[in-house]
Amino acid sequence: MLKIITMEELIEQLKQEIIEALDLEDVKPDDFNADTPLFVEGLGLDSIDALELIVLLEKKYGLKIEDPQERRSILYSVRTMAEYITANRKE
Amino acid sequence: MAAFITSTACISPQNTSNSLGFPNEINEYSSNILKCVEPNYKDYINPLQLRRMSKILKMGLGASMICIKNDNQSNPDAIIVGTGLGCGEDLEKFLNSITDSNEQVLSPTPFIQSTHNMVAAQIAVVLKNHNYNMTYCHRGFSFEEALIDALMLINDGQAKSVLVGGIDEMTENNFKFFNYLDYWKKENISNLHLFEHNNSGSIAGEGACFFSIKAENSNNATCINDVSLFYKPQSNCEIEEKITSFLKKNNIEKEKLDLIILGMNGDNNFDSIYKHLIKEYFYSGSLLTNYKHLCGEYVTSSSFALWLADCILKDQYIPDVIKIDKFENKIVKNILIYNHYRNINHSLMLISLK
Repeated sequence: MLKIITMEELIEQLKQEIIEALDLEDVKPDDFNADTPLFVEGLGLDSIDALELIVLLEKKYGLKIEDPQERRSILYSVRTMAEYITANRKE
Repeated sequence: MAAFITSTACISPQNTSNSLGFPNEINEYSSNILKCVEPNYKDYINPLQLRRMSKILKMGLGASMICIKNDNQSNPDAIIVGTGLGCGEDLEKFLNSITDSNEQVLSPTPFIQSTHNMVAAQIAVVLKNHNYNMTYCHRGFSFEEALIDALMLINDGQAKSVLVGGIDEMTENNFKFFNYLDYWKKENISNLHLFEHNNSGSIAGEGACFFSIKAENSNNATCINDVSLFYKPQSNCEIEEKITSFLKKNNIEKEKLDLIILGMNGDNNFDSIYKHLIKEYFYSGSLLTNYKHLCGEYVTSSSFALWLADCILKDQYIPDVIKIDKFENKIVKNILIYNHYRNINHSLMLISLK
């Protein structure tokens, strides 16, 4: 069972998990905010990173994005990911 | 079949990556696995691309970028890589994650990067190169096959410049697996005393050597005259015949060879072939050298030998550390490289200054 945490705590936790999962060696959690776009102009992530983030959601939060069309909006930023987790995680 | 080496790059267990030519200082290792001295890859590869790469990808991409930089060249007409074992680290990571996660939710990166052709593909991605892209995985012939392909492309007029490389890494697991097969010496030895241990096994190595090869000679570039392969010879006599016919095809007599680089690896199961040739076949005044005490034994180690030959011809300097017997340095205009991988894959390369 997931520990209940606030949205802000979840965002900080996600930032750290993204950095670790994607080996963003030179990036620190404070280098980007919750609304920074993760792809292209923001953190500059690519399609392989998107796959890694999908795996992260499944591994850490037990969430599978069923509809491929939703991936783009869910993985837009740390905040959109956190909102998706909050709305869908099983208590 | 001839072409010119206009630029080289070598990442090896010696300090070869940051120098143009043979290093002044030789690294001595006390274990039987020689690991590459790696450059600061951030000088050559975008950190965003670098972060995901395993060691062999970094080595391959790093060496190829150094080679292209040294050549003041932007994009080759072909990228060809020879690798015997491919991207072993990623493959191991991927296979381990299958068992660790009970075949569920696998991380895609190690899977994507576990294929043998990943090095050549990554070079093309970084260079935005859409030209001919090929990887040869033919065990002890891998590098030579890549080189032959490059020479054929150039000689057929299909390419004017080719980036060709030989690359292999020695992961801890590969070292262990090959150890079960008695590939390595049982006792830890110094690489610089490899040939003093007259027993079974060699020392493991790894490396990434890349060459920019062109149809046209420029700045006294080294010429690759010819490359020849032969498989599982039945006798020393057959090996002698192969060398004789290779030299005859290239209009050179063995007495006229200025230098010979041999692939001795310290394993007495296989070095007897070289020793026989030295005693019974090669001209008694031949200048004989070897190289595997510097880079270790690995499937594409002949690429290190070619890099070494290029250094010798360009700098006209034969380092003492590679000489089998002491001899005075002299002008070297041609070099024969003879290497075999476990008496299975035998190769000959003739290199010269035109």
